[in-house]
Amino acid sequence: MKESYQGPLERVSEYCWRIPKSYKQGMRVPGLIFSDERLLEQVKKDQAPDQVANVAFLPGIQYASLAMPDIHWGYGFCIGGVCATDPDEGGVISPGGVGYDINCGVRLIRSNLYYQDVKPHLRQLVEELFRQVPTGVGKSGKYRFDQKELKHLLGEGSSYVIGRGLGTSGDLEYTEAGGHLDGADPDAVSDRAQMRGAEQCGTLGSGNHFLEVQIVDHVFDETAAAAMGLEKDMVCVMIHSGSRGLGYQVCDDGLAMLRKSPENYGISLPDRQLACAPVNSPEGQKYIAAMRAAANFAWCNRQLLMQQAREVFGRVFGRSWQELQMNLVYDVCHNIAKFEEHEVNGKRKRLWVHRKGATRAFPPNHPEIPAAYRKIGQPVIIPGDMGRASWVLAGRQGSMEQTFGTTCHGAGRAMSRTSAVKEAGGRNIAKELEAKGVIARAQSRRGLAEEQPKAYKNVDDVVEVVHKAGLSAKVARMRPIGVIKG
Amino acid sequence: MYETFEHTADLGLRVRAPDLDRLFAEAAQALFAAIVDDLETVRPTQKIDVSLHGDDLGYLLFDWLNELLYRFDTEHLLFGKFDVRMENQNLHGSAWGEPLDPARHSLAHEVKAITYHGLKVEKEKDGWLAEVIVDI
Repeated sequence: MKESYQGPLERVSEYCWRIPKSYKQGMRVPGLIFSDERLLEQVKKDQAPDQVANVAFLPGIQYASLAMPDIHWGYGFCIGGVCATDPDEGGVISPGGVGYDINCGVRLIRSNLYYQDVKPHLRQLVEELFRQVPTGVGKSGKYRFDQKELKHLLGEGSSYVIGRGLGTSGDLEYTEAGGHLDGADPDAVSDRAQMRGAEQCGTLGSGNHFLEVQIVDHVFDETAAAAMGLEKDMVCVMIHSGSRGLGYQVCDDGLAMLRKSPENYGISLPDRQLACAPVNSPEGQKYIAAMRAAANFAWCNRQLLMQQAREVFGRVFGRSWQELQMNLVYDVCHNIAKFEEHEVNGKRKRLWVHRKGATRAFPPNHPEIPAAYRKIGQPVIIPGDMGRASWVLAGRQGSMEQTFGTTCHGAGRAMSRTSAVKEAGGRNIAKELEAKGVIARAQSRRGLAEEQPKAYKNVDDVVEVVHKAGLSAKVARMRPIGVIKG
Repeated sequence: MYETFEHTADLGLRVRAPDLDRLFAEAAQALFAAIVDDLETVRPTQKIDVSLHGDDLGYLLFDWLNELLYRFDTEHLLFGKFDVRMENQNLHGSAWGEPLDPARHSLAHEVKAITYHGLKVEKEKDGWLAEVIVDI
């Protein structure tokens, strides 16, 4: 099953390789993979590059099918893929290009605590977070929304839960898109999806999702870090989660609805998981309306997760979270499709940009960036593995020129889940992490083995590529000290 | 007979059985073996029935597994025993299990979804083969 990629990869620049259109009949544009020589060796080990080529089949795709340096093998689309389509040229929307976890994303919260303040209380803090924040499979949240409330939440996004006292207006300002996508239609979200999501808003989930206590390990750009309120040794909280069962079901419903769409719209596809429909078709519009509602749900989920973390910090340190200045630095999505303006061959166009395991990275002065960050570029939060590091970057002009305003989203897996468990053998991952100064709590030991640091590429290598390729610039390296997982 | 196979971020289930009925039952077994650490801990105290219709065996397998996953996600029901009868293009399936009890059941994975990627139901020389990748 796991065969290595044998197709062409032509070097375009120090950090970019091309899969020419001639590789497969049916490719409308070439594929472009951002990487370096070392990471590329790993990329070639499975069929991820082939998936980049397959995405180039999608009608209306512009410029190139793109992949970020954390690219790895997905289903249909690779993880780390970017694809922009033009609805005026028959462009399609594809649920697979967003992924099951619609608006999976990351947020970073700062505080006025420093490593020395937290160190003596770290174990208690992690235990309390683990007790209070629902993690793992089949866990319900403490927030309940009846059907009517859930519809409001799906339509309005973060502002709905903030209106109920679960956050502040500042949280909205520092969330991508203000925590709300226009055009979300709660009625486009099936009853099944609403059932799956009803109890899950404010729960972390499992797999690679996490809530981490981190410290700023190293600052690379003083000006940008200062604008974000970050300085060395400051304690922060990073949250990685998405739209839970509701989003998975919206994706699933979308794919089922599109089973016949290749025949109906005369679209030829190399993989059923790439199912898509023209943006301007009833199916396309229905998926978009539901996907936007699921994105709003995900923002509410991260907002409620943040609120629970704030409350735990307040209790452990005996001061309110406001006194601890636990303010949101920024919240980004990395599984999403958005309608954005970009330039293609010198022409301004409105495009549907699919980011599947890729993060928006708008450059300085872009109108969609909050005023406080206008001069430094959009903050980009990159979760790494639980042993080494995560990163804060800032968007750069190169992203608009090369990747539809996009950068990487994480470390990317180096090992499959099965091989990570085999590799871990009987080792106690929690103990190993503790020796490195990280206290980790997880519902499942197997989960911890699958998510062990070695299972991931080194996020520093991935960040190096996007930094040097001019997609986003290093601001600060974050180091985990406390981890809770499903 | 089932086994798991490697897929970078996710998990592949590969099932072989002498006939389609057992293939679909074993596939469900493989799915729940990915969700719960030890299937033996799941007691068959409740039964659910699932009826599906479809002309594509791949989609039928997908829909069967998807329905069971939905029941788990919304009703927190774990299943350990399955019986499937395939007649023409109809599937009649039963699953036995019990509500999730964290005191007795240790969970291994949150399966987000069944995927279409590499989805396969094929006749082999001495039986049937199914492959399905689940999103973790």
